[in-house]
Amino acid sequence: MSEGSSKEPQKTPMVYICGECHNENEIRPRDPIRCRECGYRIMYKKRTKKLVVFDAR
Amino acid sequence: MTMESPLAEQKPRIVLQEYKLAQTAPIAKDHFTVKSFKKSFKIVIIRNEQNEMEFDMIGIHPFLVNAFRRLILSDVPTMSIEKVYISNNTSVIQDEVLAHRLGLVPLKADPRLFDYKEDASAESNENDSLEFELKIKCTYNKEANKKDSSRAEDMYKNNNVYSRHIKWLPVGNQKERFKESEVGPIDDNILLAKMRPGHELDLKLVAVKGCGRDHAKFSPVATVFYRLLPDVKLTRPVEGEAALRLQSCFSPGVIGIRHEKDGKRVAYVDNARYDTCSRNAFRHDDIKDAVVATKIPDHFVFTIESVGALRPDVIFTEAITILKNKCAALLEELESTG
Amino acid sequence: MEKCDDYSTFGDPSFYQKPIKEIQEKWKLVPAFLKIRGLVKQHIDSFNYFISVDIKKIVEANNKVVCDADPLFYIKYTNVQVGTPDVDEGFNISKSTTPHECRLRDMTYSAPITVDIEYTRGTQRVSKTGLLIGRMPIMLKSSNCVLNGKSEYELAKMNECPLDPGGYFVVKGQERVILIQEQLTKNRMIVEEGKYGIQCQVTSSTQEKKSRTNVFVKGNKYFMGHNTFADPIPISIVFKALNVINDQEICELIGISDVHKLIPTLEECHNLKIYTQESALMYLGSKLVAKRFVTSAYKIKTPADEARDLLATTVLAHVPVEEYNFRLKAIYVGLMVKKVIEAQTDSNLLDDRDYYGNKRLELAGSLISLMFEDVFKRFNWELKAIAEKTIPKIRATQFDVVKYMRSDLITSCLVFAISTGNWTIKRFRMERLGVTQVLSRLSYISALGMMTRVNSQFEKTRKVSGPRSLQPSQWGMLCPSDTPEGEACGLVKNLALMTHITTEVDEYPLIRLARNSGVQDINMVASFAIHSPSTYIVFLNGNILGITKNFKKLIDIFRMTRRKGYISGYVSIYPNHSHKSIYISSDNGRLCRPYIIVRNGIPLVTDKHIRELEKGIRGFEDFLQDGLIEFLDVNEENDSFIACYEHDVSVRTTHLEIEPFTLLGVCAGLVPYPHHNQSPRNTYQCAMGKQAMGTIGYNQKNRMDTLLYNLVYPQAPMVKTKTIELTNFDKLPAGQNATIAVMSYSGYDIEDALILNKASIDRGFGRCLVYKNSKCIMKRYTNQTYDRIQGPMVDVVTGKPMWKHSCLDNDGIIGPGELVQNRQVLINKSVPTVSTVHGTTNTSVEYKETPITYRNDEPSYIEKVLISTNEEDTTLLKILLRQTRKPEIGDKFSSRHGQKGVVGLIVEQEDMPFNEYGICPDIIMNPHGFPSRMTVGKLIELLAGKAGLVEGKFHYGTAFGGSKVKDVSEELVRNGFNYQGKDLFYSGITGEPLEMYIYSGPVYYQKLKHMVQDKIHGRGRGPRAVLTRQPTEGRSRDGGLRLGEMERDCLIGYGASMMLVERLMVSSDICDVDVCNKCGLLGYCGWCNSCKSSAQVSSITMPYACKLLLTELQSMNITARLTLTHYCE
Repeated sequence: MSEGSSKEPQKTPMVYICGECHNENEIRPRDPIRCRECGYRIMYKKRTKKLVVFDAR
Repeated sequence: MTMESPLAEQKPRIVLQEYKLAQTAPIAKDHFTVKSFKKSFKIVIIRNEQNEMEFDMIGIHPFLVNAFRRLILSDVPTMSIEKVYISNNTSVIQDEVLAHRLGLVPLKADPRLFDYKEDASAESNENDSLEFELKIKCTYNKEANKKDSSRAEDMYKNNNVYSRHIKWLPVGNQKERFKESEVGPIDDNILLAKMRPGHELDLKLVAVKGCGRDHAKFSPVATVFYRLLPDVKLTRPVEGEAALRLQSCFSPGVIGIRHEKDGKRVAYVDNARYDTCSRNAFRHDDIKDAVVATKIPDHFVFTIESVGALRPDVIFTEAITILKNKCAALLEELESTG
Repeated sequence: MEKCDDYSTFGDPSFYQKPIKEIQEKWKLVPAFLKIRGLVKQHIDSFNYFISVDIKKIVEANNKVVCDADPLFYIKYTNVQVGTPDVDEGFNISKSTTPHECRLRDMTYSAPITVDIEYTRGTQRVSKTGLLIGRMPIMLKSSNCVLNGKSEYELAKMNECPLDPGGYFVVKGQERVILIQEQLTKNRMIVEEGKYGIQCQVTSSTQEKKSRTNVFVKGNKYFMGHNTFADPIPISIVFKALNVINDQEICELIGISDVHKLIPTLEECHNLKIYTQESALMYLGSKLVAKRFVTSAYKIKTPADEARDLLATTVLAHVPVEEYNFRLKAIYVGLMVKKVIEAQTDSNLLDDRDYYGNKRLELAGSLISLMFEDVFKRFNWELKAIAEKTIPKIRATQFDVVKYMRSDLITSCLVFAISTGNWTIKRFRMERLGVTQVLSRLSYISALGMMTRVNSQFEKTRKVSGPRSLQPSQWGMLCPSDTPEGEACGLVKNLALMTHITTEVDEYPLIRLARNSGVQDINMVASFAIHSPSTYIVFLNGNILGITKNFKKLIDIFRMTRRKGYISGYVSIYPNHSHKSIYISSDNGRLCRPYIIVRNGIPLVTDKHIRELEKGIRGFEDFLQDGLIEFLDVNEENDSFIACYEHDVSVRTTHLEIEPFTLLGVCAGLVPYPHHNQSPRNTYQCAMGKQAMGTIGYNQKNRMDTLLYNLVYPQAPMVKTKTIELTNFDKLPAGQNATIAVMSYSGYDIEDALILNKASIDRGFGRCLVYKNSKCIMKRYTNQTYDRIQGPMVDVVTGKPMWKHSCLDNDGIIGPGELVQNRQVLINKSVPTVSTVHGTTNTSVEYKETPITYRNDEPSYIEKVLISTNEEDTTLLKILLRQTRKPEIGDKFSSRHGQKGVVGLIVEQEDMPFNEYGICPDIIMNPHGFPSRMTVGKLIELLAGKAGLVEGKFHYGTAFGGSKVKDVSEELVRNGFNYQGKDLFYSGITGEPLEMYIYSGPVYYQKLKHMVQDKIHGRGRGPRAVLTRQPTEGRSRDGGLRLGEMERDCLIGYGASMMLVERLMVSSDICDVDVCNKCGLLGYCGWCNSCKSSAQVSSITMPYACKLLLTELQSMNITARLTLTHYCE
């Protein structure tokens, strides 16, 4: 999947959400993509932690 | 209240003909003078409720009335949510759509107590903006008595996000200046979003002062409009079945039926004020010549339907203030250049 | 059919009767019909038939594989089955899957095809069950689909929209529809004007063979033409070859009164001295088309034998020949000749090719069955080839054919066919393109409209009017409005609401029933009796079954048994009195629709039945079962006397229409009051309804389409139609009820432009969401290298990610919720530079950056990011991008009456006119849109909508019905509105009342997908093409704006020479070149290379294209020399 950039090695695995049971899975690069709880193979990324500003128009 | 001025017969009228409007006499193009205006102008307040007001402006040119209408729509300011800072939104509603919906929520805050923001990118301060927060999370309802229900409102908690969930965050000295009930949303039950367990909203909202020209959400009114006072005249007596038919051609209360002694039913004009000018008498060939519906061209029935931030009478006086300021600004401009 | 032939009763006053009372709420039969049938039942039925019946027939017909190398060897298929869709999870585990998972993971929604076989391994006989031979893509909502028979809740669990019609395939994550193909009926005689004169043509089609046989007249002789014979064969010789030696019998078989017409044909035989079957076959053998390649060398047949075989199997292939008994075929040929001769004198006997009784619609099931049979044959042939190759070899292990049965041939062939739409059937030499299309998911209606689309086989480019024009026989079967404009006009059609397409019904019970009803077997009839004046010939699916004297009885018995339900309801029987024939059809692909049966002038369906239907005691099947309603196909419809309304019912009436609005299709059904509109307007709306944005399904938020348009606040229309409710358009709407005022305003509303109220836009009118997707797969290479994704690159100085990578998370993929600008990176992917070399595993691999970047001037938000694996187990990343768009000047809107327009101006609310109630219109529409368009339906929609608003209810604008203008006006009057819908308005600008009353009220407006933001384009400077140095073409390449030929002509005509030079050279591909005055060739840097001097070189400017031409000519050994003179001379 990914590797931390060579300039800033961040080996923390990312957390993804299972599309079926909404369980949070930690998946490392090259791990098989499969939910540990239900075996479902579709994962979604979690929403960004960054603050996003919208115009209320 | 007077329905017609006593001189009504001499004054020019606008006649509602079958296919178009017509004027009985050309409206005198007399010059507008403050003196004559002061003499003839009259305001009669018919109705003044919490959010709705109806009053008559008599003896005034349409351009002036229209100016007030236009000013109220797009120049009288209110406070509205302008920026939405989204920390989290895992519900199904899209961020922009949620922001748009929040923007349209009318706020109670009195715009007269705030300043316009210098420019859009400037830091907000206690005098030009209000801050709110909307933090809510939907969960399963654990209450035992509602376990078997399959209604969404029983199964979940916070499945509907309403305007009452918006919380005010006082900035600086705002805590001393206002109460929460004075600045929040007009109504507690404006539906903002729907959620299911696991969904979460975490927003910070910033409201600023703005005017309707910029965006409709800043407009202080739901609508503001005026109409010319209608007048209905019968040219010949209408009797019997035709009288009932005539009555049905107008709004309720416009045409009354008088029972004569000989058992005849005769139509008479009762109160033409609330006629909707539907001209339905023209459908009936036998009575269309018996009635003439007209409008009094300088008698305006003005209606303000406030959204709730300001009382309608306040809105109107605000509009006058704005007009005054605009005129003053124009004069100043003319003098400085001239 | 009870008494309809008794013409004497017509006009008899004693049979006159009171008008039939209207059956109340008769239309409720339509929802009942659609409830059991669904909107796309034709596709699903046809596929179900294939999966459960046809596939078994195919395997049985090809059930044995033998090989020449080993006489003992054989494989025999004993059974075949198609399972339920699953997905391979690795390690031989498969898991049941859902269509939505396949859509998201780019997989094929398919089920295993398993067979039970019996075969020999060495000398042993082995049988195996459940052997996988391939995978079959499964149609959604078919019997094998997981969605079949599921409740709304279960469907929601599977992320499927309960309103989705199904009937399509999910192949490689794409939804594909097999369009309905319209073609001429098979195995029927068509008499028409041919090359030489009248001809009778039969296209025979059986499982194995497809051929076309022609009987035609040329001069005064009759010939048979067939593509296996080089020349036309005189009919008399054909008869002799078919073992009808006797000239008298030939005449009897042809059965015309005037035998003289046949003399020249019969003479031919005598001239050629052909008196026996053998000599006739010899003659035919000599006329055979030379074969290009000889197949099996050791089986050389004599030409005569070959001709005999051809006559038996290929010529008129559908007429069975057993043991070379040509009797039936001879009768058939005789009938063909008879038809030609009769049509020569009576042009009424010519058949109409465009008549829908002569058409068959080919559906997904039959198309897939053709494809499957072809590939199954190839599969068997390959097994045979392997066996022939392997068995003679001496091997340690015994030859086990099961090991060679690979499932990928059938799988990939079917998947390829559906995913590309290329239908190549080798055995029929058929090659069709564009059989499947991607299901258009622009709106719910566009998807539904696609499922009912009928594609014609005609060439689009041909300028023919016949096949394109509206055929009277398509009444009620195909929508008269819904067809595209332009080249496919009239060739692409849509089914009407109640149309059903038949599937095949077994012939055997019908043959027995016919025999029992007095049909004499044709083989038992003497030649002279066949065409006797009192008899009718009975056909079953194009084959002669026999003759009957009492055809009325036969027809009555058939119809009665059908109504009783003893034979299939889709069998049709009808007489043709001019042919003196009775035709029974049970074949597939016929169009049919239900009708209420009328007996003795009284409809059998009564109010009582409808009440029972309302209560739910009675279903549509019960109506069929009780013989109250029956299906008629086009041919039988033509033999019936059908009343549209109850008051039209007379004694001769045989059937009653259920509801007239069902003659329109799904798309035309959206139009309110279509019967008040000019007909092309309804056609335009049919095309535009498919471009309207709105909702596409309850699962739209779970989908990841490449392009998806949604309305933020869609509304159900104020003026509905019955069709809208039946198709659930009100649950998945595409449009909004806008208050319009019909008036002119500001001049920005000319040519159909609309004026929009800014406040309405601020409040959410016409606001839409545009979703796009961006995807990539992480490949694995043969040398153990992978594509990789890296985290964001960090700026050394600031310690923050660089701008391009600022949206990326630590995993190198953008996170949902972020705003992404033009040229920012979505996925920071890189690929190994060396991916083919084997071996090097541990040495460090070099990578090349291939980031997926965002390319659009307008920024987007990330809706969601999906990470999964596809069928090949490679990682799949999909990113869904979202934009919210407000209406702006230039966006396209349309009402439901083919009245489209772009936004011309957006006006502040204060400037908009307002009426006495303070209502401001959302849209101002110019009244000039009405007179020439004649869309009276729109005017009525406005009126009905307005009345609906004040009364708080929906009005109906159903075709040929709906709320009446009079009632609607009355409602308006009741609420104090003008009965004409015209109100007094005040100008928002001057404040004075407008002189005219303004027609205003709500009209349903659709926002169409064409938005300026996607089209806006302009350029000053920009990229140029490498070869010509001219500006590039097209918006996507930031191209220049072309000054085309016609514009150039204008400038020439005007004499604006400097302007021309500026446009065509200076602003395009100006170029300085050095030209040698001496030799006239191009030089460079002031040097002429051919003269080897710089003495006479001068520099001029010319378009680079010209310079390119000169050099290219030079490279072809053509010298173009320039002669220069001074400009001032």
